[in-house]
Amino acid sequence: MLRTSILACLLALSTAVPALAQTMAPSIEQPVTITFYNYNLAAAGLGAEATQKLINEFMAANPNVTVTGVPYGSADGSRIQADLAAGLPVDVVQTVFSDLDFSVTNFGAQALEDIVPAGEIATHLQGMHPNGTKLGVLNGKTYGLAYTFSTPVLFYNADLFRAAGLDPDNPPKTWADVKSAALAVEEKTDAEGFTAGITGPSAVDWLFQGVVRSNNGEVISRDRKTLKFAEPEAIEAVAMLRDLYDAGVYENYDFAGAVDGMASGNLAMYLQTSALQGSLVAGANGNYELRSSTMPRFADKPTRPNNSGSALTIHTTDPLKQRAAWELMKFLTSEHGYTIITSEIGYLPLRPAIVTDPKYLAGWIADHPLVAPNLEQLDRLEPWDPMPGANYRQIVKTMMDAVEMSIFGGADVATTLADAQANAQALMP
Amino acid sequence: MTIDVIARPARARPVTLRRISNRSGLNTAAGHLLMVLLSIFCLFPVYWMLVSSFRPANTLFETSLWPTQPSLDNYTRAVDAIPIARMLINTLVFSAVSTVFQLLTGILAAFAFARWKFPFDKLVYTGVALTWLVPFQVVMIPNYLLIAQMGLLDSVLALILPNIAAALAIMLLAQAMRGFPKEVIEAARMDGASNWRVLWEVLVPNLRGTIASLAILIFISTWNEYFWPLLLSRTAENSVIQIGIQMFMTAEGNQWGPLMAASTLASLPVLVIYVVLQRQVVQSFMKSGIR
Repeated sequence: MLRTSILACLLALSTAVPALAQTMAPSIEQPVTITFYNYNLAAAGLGAEATQKLINEFMAANPNVTVTGVPYGSADGSRIQADLAAGLPVDVVQTVFSDLDFSVTNFGAQALEDIVPAGEIATHLQGMHPNGTKLGVLNGKTYGLAYTFSTPVLFYNADLFRAAGLDPDNPPKTWADVKSAALAVEEKTDAEGFTAGITGPSAVDWLFQGVVRSNNGEVISRDRKTLKFAEPEAIEAVAMLRDLYDAGVYENYDFAGAVDGMASGNLAMYLQTSALQGSLVAGANGNYELRSSTMPRFADKPTRPNNSGSALTIHTTDPLKQRAAWELMKFLTSEHGYTIITSEIGYLPLRPAIVTDPKYLAGWIADHPLVAPNLEQLDRLEPWDPMPGANYRQIVKTMMDAVEMSIFGGADVATTLADAQANAQALMP
Repeated sequence: MTIDVIARPARARPVTLRRISNRSGLNTAAGHLLMVLLSIFCLFPVYWMLVSSFRPANTLFETSLWPTQPSLDNYTRAVDAIPIARMLINTLVFSAVSTVFQLLTGILAAFAFARWKFPFDKLVYTGVALTWLVPFQVVMIPNYLLIAQMGLLDSVLALILPNIAAALAIMLLAQAMRGFPKEVIEAARMDGASNWRVLWEVLVPNLRGTIASLAILIFISTWNEYFWPLLLSRTAENSVIQIGIQMFMTAEGNQWGPLMAASTLASLPVLVIYVVLQRQVVQSFMKSGIR
């Protein structure tokens, strides 16, 4: 009897809690203004223009909603912190995936399951790639919907490949291929062989996570409690990069140097986010043939690329604003939204069907073949794990400094990573 | 013998002078050569900014000294992408008003410190001096919260407010006023001049060189201000040109062409000021050091 009563109570609670948690207004019957913190708006050019265009279209379709775009720097999020401290409304945020944990625990990002009726979530997620919908999931709940994101792509200069006696139709598929191709370029041309956006101040750890995973390692455990970047698989991955550097084919360029080197035709291969496509095409136009390929793999192990970029997160607790924010989120991640995001900013569409749909991206994809490897990797996409706790940036910095010292600084790979892991583990919550 | 003694130096003198003159000429030539080389070293980045602003995107990385296909596209793109004219006006207003207010508050405060002894004057002066050692980043967030409470976010007025008084101005002017001859001030007082008249009709006109130098320093430093406008400005229309330039550096790659065009336009006003007030600018840096 007692057991039955307890079970009945638990059942009642389990059905009541979601009902209580779903506080969102059912519709927007009165004017409402929401703020949209967006880092694309802080830049000049296509990203800002496309974002503003989407906001304007949304407001035209939803006359009761006014969206105030607030530009902020994604590098530190200080404006969001300052505005929250000042009591200003922070309603929707374009959150970098590595900041997701901090955004949930400090900026009040809301789990969609807690505020949006389950049926509405299910309906909206229909047609999205299942790998993409997992990107914003943390601790079993969806805090963000993937918005502007991409995967690592190996850009290469087909003209330099030909000059080095390589076949540009068969780009490097493994890290060993990258090394031999880069050596050939270094030997037979005046150009540099290879660089990657794995390290450097603006790299964070997104590309490094994918490289380590592709060697069947992890930088952090699945429960995000234990750091694992000094485990043998990670050490082997870093040692491979060190070997490329020691062989003289991996250039230690910062972000601007690498992009400029590739755009100017002085670099044969560059592993970086596909979001750089526009900049590289602008430099290559009329100078050399720019091509792209998938991320290199370790021998016969399939690659496990993870995403870069951002998710949309809802922060407001006001029911009416939550509804407006959810409607905005749905619009931005709709077929039309991803069409604009892909064709005008350069990121990846999370809805695979629009790629072949003439109403959306089919024509654009045909004209932009460089995006093909990016789409191919969508099927193997894994999340960019955010480091937990208030020290998350320091953890990433400790890890990436050790990686940089191991590759370019001559430090012993295993010892350096182990020391850094011990130090970083102490910073974990 | 006597003649010889007299004659020897007479004969030797022109030789020595010639040698000295030759050596001096060589030194002067070497000095000039060094200055020319240093000038080229300093001016080359400015020149490269200018020529890069005329290079199309696909020839941006060519190393020729003059663009092979000069184009104004970067200027068009820069003007289309950000409200450059509005940003330049905002920056001008921000810099000019901050300069005027810092001079005004600096003159009044410095006069008080230099002219009178009052209880705890040294302590107060030390307090003012210590504020100079506190980086702006430390007080940036408290200032931001205050500005937000005042409802002034995203306005040029909010940019100006924390800059209406500065320790550097007070200290520099107080030092200059302390060095001013007391007899002149006493003479003015004996002629019946009030403190107000002593300040504005005796001290300020005589310290105009120092004030002009300080004004230039404040103007240039405010013109180049970055962190405060970055935090405060929420729209490009209410922001300053330094933020506008930074907007061309994106996660999707840097747009060097428009960035160089915007930088060229942004540096023009400061360049004009420098050309017009070259002597005062050099003196200001020599007098007060580089901030």
